[in-house]
Amino acid sequence: MHVLKVINLTKQFKDFVAVDNISFSLQKGEILGFLGPNGAGKTTTIQMLLGILTPSHGHISYFGKEFNANREEILEKLNFSSTYTNLPWVLTVKENLTYTAHLYDIQDRKQRVKHIIKTFRLEELQNKPISDLSAGQQTRVNLAKSFINDPEVVLLDEPTASLDPETARFIREYILHKREKDGISVLFTSHNMKEVEEVTDRVLFINHGKIIANDTPLNLAKSLDTTQLSLTLAPDHKEKLIVFAHQKNIPIKVHQKSVILFIKDSQTSSILNEIVKQRIVFADISIERPSLEDYFLKVAGNTPGSFADIV
Amino acid sequence: MKAHRIYAIVLRYLYLLRRSYDRMSDMFYWPAIDLIIWGLTSSYFSSLQGGNQQVISILLGSLLLWMVVWRSQYEISVNLLEDLWNKNLMNIFVAPLSFYEWIAAFYTLGIVKSIVSISFAAILAFVLYHTNFLQYNIVFVLYLPILIMFGWTLGMMISALVLRFGTRVQTLAWSFPYLVSPFAAIYYPIATLPPFARKIASIIPISYVFESGREYVSKGVVDYHSLVVALMMSVVLLILATIFLKKSFDKLLQKGLVSVY
Repeated sequence: MHVLKVINLTKQFKDFVAVDNISFSLQKGEILGFLGPNGAGKTTTIQMLLGILTPSHGHISYFGKEFNANREEILEKLNFSSTYTNLPWVLTVKENLTYTAHLYDIQDRKQRVKHIIKTFRLEELQNKPISDLSAGQQTRVNLAKSFINDPEVVLLDEPTASLDPETARFIREYILHKREKDGISVLFTSHNMKEVEEVTDRVLFINHGKIIANDTPLNLAKSLDTTQLSLTLAPDHKEKLIVFAHQKNIPIKVHQKSVILFIKDSQTSSILNEIVKQRIVFADISIERPSLEDYFLKVAGNTPGSFADIV
Repeated sequence: MKAHRIYAIVLRYLYLLRRSYDRMSDMFYWPAIDLIIWGLTSSYFSSLQGGNQQVISILLGSLLLWMVVWRSQYEISVNLLEDLWNKNLMNIFVAPLSFYEWIAAFYTLGIVKSIVSISFAAILAFVLYHTNFLQYNIVFVLYLPILIMFGWTLGMMISALVLRFGTRVQTLAWSFPYLVSPFAAIYYPIATLPPFARKIASIIPISYVFESGREYVSKGVVDYHSLVVALMMSVVLLILATIFLKKSFDKLLQKGLVSVY
């Protein structure tokens, strides 16, 4: 069942097309990663999904209802958090959450604010103004705000940026817990690919305003089909391996004590066999299968020194 | 329109008021300073006229009425700026708040804070200069809708310009009312103005209120006809300002709400 459906969404600023005719959906209980390099169109899309940027073309519907025509009803069940928006600085954590609870007409307001403060470990900070908090603490308050109305759909724009590893892990676990318990759906952007692999069910990859991939993190990584076979060798064996790689037309990267071979995942065992047959002796070996990060770097493309350039 | 959402925005600014010395001084300090300066000035002029108490009543009454205009516009334009400075506009509008609920919250704040400021100033005027404005209460109540609506009109026009051009035009929130004030003939009769300025005054509804106020204090008569004209003009101007602000807001949504930061 779709909770969000986007059809042919386009945003054009004068001559620049920021989002180019994209279509996708978010299922109930799904955590959808929304990835892409800076300037790819992620934030523009999220702003349109929140109704704070008018699309040039296309349709957005939530829960089977047209967003524009049912904005207030839909926004009651939606929320948003971004590391890049601020809360009123002079107000305390508790005051920010209280007025937000009023905005959403939460009935057991005091209990809800108390509960959300406890959940996001804000008890000691609740009477401090936002201006007194660190960047990470502010992000936590922003996240607490985004769950105050018990939303059915949450849009999270880099929710764990600026958080320490322990808090970031807590947030990931909380999102997964909310999905398990309440079946919430999440659209999730992050530049932390390991986090995306851990949390998301599916990933949309956007670049130059177009969706260029829509699959699970595992399948996207697999689509690269390039495994890094790293061998540590003595100098004379290192030379032999370089010659071998050239003969077999295998791309390599040479380090001081090791050589990395970029091969297809399916060739790993046969190439290792041949290396052994050639009596090339190695002291250590590591095999790195492609990850979502490799996929990101390849698709992001022209980053100097990227994986794509080496291959 | 949902009352709880209007209340939420009102609450947000009341929290701010509690914690901000800027907002507190806007509400009490500046009205007190204005009142003391104008009170002393009018007392001096009164002494030149053999202790004529009417001079004090006219000047301080005019000041109190101007405070209503100023407060009403200020609550709209400065509260908008507050959310721009805090980069909080996005957080507000991802909630199910409508544009008109947002404006209604500012209207409410304008009325509440006007009442507080004007009451404070009136008490101060009574204590310091023995001027009792309660004797004019019925007439003053007639003036209030015109003054408040014109304050809202100014506030919305300034806000519309801020939404279009960003915080680089934020100085209008403080300066624009004072650009209008000479034509509003707050402290002097319209007849004092040069002919071209009188024409401008004739399309500023609050000029009728100040004129009427002076007439009432000095002669005890109220020109209801001119007040009705002023009221109608205020309604028309308020509608036009609301349309202008809504159009600016819609235009901003074309560029994205964050683009105004």
